[in-house]
Amino acid sequence: MEKSNLNDLMKRIQKDRDEMAFSQIFDFFASKVNAYFIQNRIRLESAEELTQEVLSTVWVKSHLYDSSKSALSTWIFTIARNKKIDFLRKNSKINFKEEDIREFLYQDREIDLNEENEAKKQIERINNELDEQQKIMIKMNFFENKSHKKIADELEIPLGTVKSRIRHILTKMQEFLR
Amino acid sequence: MNGTVVKNQLIFDFASGILGPAKSLFASTYLELNSDASKIGNIFENMLGENLMDNENIHPKNLKYTDCMNNKNIKSDSNLKDPVTSFFGNLNNLNWKQVYKGFKEYTASIDDKDELKLIKMDPGVSVPLHSHGGKEYILVLEGSFCDEYGKYSRGDIQINDQKIKHTPIASKDTGCVCMSITEKDVIFFGKFGSFLNLFTFIKSFFKQK
Repeated sequence: MEKSNLNDLMKRIQKDRDEMAFSQIFDFFASKVNAYFIQNRIRLESAEELTQEVLSTVWVKSHLYDSSKSALSTWIFTIARNKKIDFLRKNSKINFKEEDIREFLYQDREIDLNEENEAKKQIERINNELDEQQKIMIKMNFFENKSHKKIADELEIPLGTVKSRIRHILTKMQEFLR
Repeated sequence: MNGTVVKNQLIFDFASGILGPAKSLFASTYLELNSDASKIGNIFENMLGENLMDNENIHPKNLKYTDCMNNKNIKSDSNLKDPVTSFFGNLNNLNWKQVYKGFKEYTASIDDKDELKLIKMDPGVSVPLHSHGGKEYILVLEGSFCDEYGKYSRGDIQINDQKIKHTPIASKDTGCVCMSITEKDVIFFGKFGSFLNLFTFIKSFFKQK
């Protein structure tokens, strides 16, 4: 849909509370917003609930949209983003006692900074050793700071499996880094 | 590290919605108080809004447009408050903890790896020379402070890492109230600083994926 059409629809909502205009906005954006939440690893049911909240906000707070300040897609994106942040704040249960891979990786070891290139090579070697799921796990644990529990939930595999697989990967990485 | 790069990174990460709860609150307050940061944020948000236009379509299974018109949870009259007020309420009513005379702090209870605090310094009070275990972000909410690197007023942020040693002094006239973020995980690297480069390698490596 063209941006100008979207703006016209929005004006009709703002002026006349035009339900047909809203249904068209809904048809265009609901599936994109829903996809956005799913892409952000929010479970399907929650993604739909959040999508409903976003589109409800568009309808109920349509008077807050100012077409001279931003495109409609920008306004809707920021609503969706803020809903996602609130959702994660309400649902975050980060457990710091969960073992941190860095502690494991670096325990009683020292590394010489002059060996940077060597380290880089080693990392490439480790990469070749990992399968896709292992890479995802490391990424989630290491870079997204997700607890083992959260990884288990998201990948839908048992917690014990996550723990043992991550431990296995780390042992392997440690061997390489020695 | 270049301060502007770090600031823009913070703004972009906020705009994208990838920050944790503590940094999100910090960054949204920063955008609220600082018009330059807000402009940069708008540019990023416009880009991301464009992306949304082209996003793939995953249709919600059990949702019709009429469901969105009868949603009682969304209230049209909910007045928009700034992020600090909506999270903390009136700052004067918080249970401030005195660290030493003229220096108080309040730690927000946010479940996150980063710690968010409010800091209140009486006029003219200084913090003894110190450095930082991990990276620290400071945003001035009220008043101002200055240190060896310059003066910081409402809406300004300062980002400190392990290398920085400084002696902040609150303005003699107004004192200051700041919001601070301490990255807990970086403290770990303070202790094991020699692994920082290795970490950077691993991180850049995974980013390519």
